[in-house]
Amino acid sequence: MAFIKIENLFKKFGNVAAVNHVWLEVKQGEILTLLGPSGCGKTTTLRCIAGLEKPDEGDVIIDGKSMFSQGFVPPSKREIGMVFQNYAVWPHMRVFDNVAYGLKIQKLPKKVIKKKVAETLESLGLTGLEGRFPGQLSGGQQQRVALARALVGNPKVLLLDEPLSNLDAKLREKMRFEIKSLVRRMGITSVYVTHDQAEAMVISDRVSVMNTGNIVQVGTPEEIYKKPATRFVADFIGTTNFITGEILEVLKERGLLYVHTEFGQKMLCKIPDPAMASTNNKVNISIRPEDIEIFTEPREGRDNLFKATIMHRAYLGNFLYLFVNIDSTMIRVQAPYDLMQKEGEELFLFLNPEKCVLLP
Amino acid sequence: MLLTATVFGLPLAYILARYRLKGKTLLAALILLPIVLPAYAGAFAFIVFFGKQGTLNLLLLQLGLITKPVNFIYGLHGLVFIQALHLLPFIVLSLSAGFTNIDPSLEEAAEVEGAGGFKRFLTITLPLCTPNYLAGAVIVFLWPFTDWLTPLIFGQIDFLPSISYINIAYHFTDMYRKYMGIVSVVVSSVICIVMFLISKRWVESKKYTSLSKGTTLEGRIIEPGAFKRFWSYVYMVLIAILVLLIPTVLGLSAFSRRWALTPIPTYWTLDNFKLIFLESPGLLKNSFVFSGVALLWGIAFGLPAAYLITRTKIIGKEALDFVITLMLAFPGIAVGVSYLLAFWEGIPLATLWIIMPLSLFVRRLPYFVRMAHASYLQLDVSLEEASEMSGAGKLRTFINISFPLLLKGVFVGIVMFFIMAFQEISTAIFLYRGGWETLPIGIFLNWHRGMEFGIAAAMAFFMIVIIFILLLIVSRIGGGIIGAAWGSSGGRY
Ligand SMILES: Nc1ncnc2c1ncn2[C@@H]1O[C@H](COP(=O)(O)OP(=O)(O)OP(=O)(O)O)[C@@H](O)[C@H]1O
Ligand SMILES: [Mg+2]
Repeated sequence: MAFIKIENLFKKFGNVAAVNHVWLEVKQGEILTLLGPSGCGKTTTLRCIAGLEKPDEGDVIIDGKSMFSQGFVPPSKREIGMVFQNYAVWPHMRVFDNVAYGLKIQKLPKKVIKKKVAETLESLGLTGLEGRFPGQLSGGQQQRVALARALVGNPKVLLLDEPLSNLDAKLREKMRFEIKSLVRRMGITSVYVTHDQAEAMVISDRVSVMNTGNIVQVGTPEEIYKKPATRFVADFIGTTNFITGEILEVLKERGLLYVHTEFGQKMLCKIPDPAMASTNNKVNISIRPEDIEIFTEPREGRDNLFKATIMHRAYLGNFLYLFVNIDSTMIRVQAPYDLMQKEGEELFLFLNPEKCVLLP
Repeated sequence: MLLTATVFGLPLAYILARYRLKGKTLLAALILLPIVLPAYAGAFAFIVFFGKQGTLNLLLLQLGLITKPVNFIYGLHGLVFIQALHLLPFIVLSLSAGFTNIDPSLEEAAEVEGAGGFKRFLTITLPLCTPNYLAGAVIVFLWPFTDWLTPLIFGQIDFLPSISYINIAYHFTDMYRKYMGIVSVVVSSVICIVMFLISKRWVESKKYTSLSKGTTLEGRIIEPGAFKRFWSYVYMVLIAILVLLIPTVLGLSAFSRRWALTPIPTYWTLDNFKLIFLESPGLLKNSFVFSGVALLWGIAFGLPAAYLITRTKIIGKEALDFVITLMLAFPGIAVGVSYLLAFWEGIPLATLWIIMPLSLFVRRLPYFVRMAHASYLQLDVSLEEASEMSGAGKLRTFINISFPLLLKGVFVGIVMFFIMAFQEISTAIFLYRGGWETLPIGIFLNWHRGMEFGIAAAMAFFMIVIIFILLLIVSRIGGGIIGAAWGSSGGRY
């Protein structure tokens, strides 16, 4: 069931459409990430949900209630918890007062406030820091205080805008899992903004990829990774190789087609979408470095086996990373670490048709 | 005058911004002090010290170095001298801010390209400071158009504001002179506003600083060689002494009687202070009451105005900002005169004391709004948004979050507002009536009557002491007396 519905949301700043007629649904209790490059409109979308920004068109519906079209519901009345990118922990208040702020505004009895704050601080490992000012906390601790403050009032919705981007790499990794398990446990519907695809993969139930104000694809991390809808998504999520070409022949009954590639050889490819499968169509084939199989000897009569020359070879511990050329097309390949071939030597790449994704 | 201030201010700013020197903070504080001292106080002090029968002349005569008193101070050169000293801090502050903010890599790049020390300074450092310099220079340049009292003290009346003052002061006897006065007020106002707008345009078109964001670092700090260090000290101390002369001399005159014809006073007394306290406690009370009331209005009006300008998108906020900025350029004398004319007859306001704080308030409001505005800009919006997300409305957010966080910046603004209102004379002099005299007006009247210089000096000294105490409070809170002076410069601009 959709808990948050974003309907035809449109917001422009000057002449730039920051959010360009976006439709999106967030299910009850799920964690959805808005993922995309800098400036694609993630923050603006999130701020519209929060009510910190008023859209030019469209509506946001939370738990069946319209936030804009039937009179503007101010942020303070939306029962939303929000974690800001720079934490926005109030420097003049102690940790306790920061977290208790929203509860005090609800005029809860002192005892209840104390209990709730203590519980929340405990679940975030902040017990004992109640009396400190934010200036006396590390970045990671401030981040947890911001999270505690957002969660303490049991909000209907939790919004997080790149909450981990100011932390160091190690802490960031740890916090991803912590946030995920905490939010899961509380069952709060969450929208999480990030431009880090690894973070999005770890944290979300579903990912919504944005580009220049539009949502390009929505799906589980696996769907997004394995079946990217556009070249942009394939490129943005993880690392991939693109081979351009033209459709030569469609083998409908086998669910496959032949592409005449830029390096002049025929290549077999799975048909993802019948609409695309007509001859002479120009296409991109995406294949990930780890999906490419390597042979040191040629095999007669086998499809999709191409001779390639190693240009660069980098040792990354548990595997090798190769830059190889098929003709003059550069392909990145992940190879087993015990591969003997050196730079300048030849090998054979098998591009499994099942793993090749055909994109417009 | 701008030239003089620049010539003296440039090396000073460079020293302050770039050299690592012991005791720099203290010397800097002294050098920047005139910013909060009224110009007329400095003028009095220098007349006593450098005048024809002043301390310096008498000393030199006694030592036999000269046979006739030298005219150090009366005349145009004296005027330029004292005004330059008074305005030096503006130049120094704006320039040293510029020096500090320059991205060190820009200069280092020039160094790598082979530009030597002085050449680098001329071709890279100075041009990069132009916007900062202009900001300070406008204030300095416009000053003579607004300050009528100092020229008068030095016997120079060929300045627009002074002419206006004299003409208007005698308007009771001669209607014709009144109109002449008004015309000259209008002329100087127009000049001020036009200059101000032009320079504002210019500064805005020349902002390079946005390229690399304002560095929080100290900028490029140099360990000066022994030679440079020595001369820097000499230079700074010299100017600091000149500044210190002001309170010293005023203090001497304040505690003495009939100080004349001797280098230092011979007869010490507290009579002057007794007189002030016995005969005219009203002056003090008026000063405090008027400034206080003006301040309350300033807060009540200034904070919301700053809020509107910074945080909302309501229509007309640009206009509000513009009008308030424009008031900065408006000479005090013009405010006084227009109030006088507007409220003189028919409207009973001019006959109520409330007009005094009202005029102070109007005159100083822009500085306060500017300061509040500046503090607001530094306050991260997300702190306020976080409060709204926690369920607090706008008003609640302002009370709980914005106001406490703004308080420090605003407090400096408040004290500066008070100091400025406290020493205000150019507006008040036109509006006061018997019984509404403030301390500065008292100083002026006592000086004007000629005989009571001791009392005038005592009042001025007293005022400086009050200002000093306020400054101390500010520096406690605002961090360093430089911070205090900064506050005022931010406010004035
Ligand atoms: N207050 C504003 N005024 C003007 N333009 C804005 C404003 N806020 C955002 N924009 C513009 O809208 C577009 C989308 O901005 P937004 O902040 O939503 O991007 P984002 O996806 O969050 O990027 P990032 O990952 O860098 O945070 C950008 O082009 C940005 O310049
Ligand atoms: Mg953003």
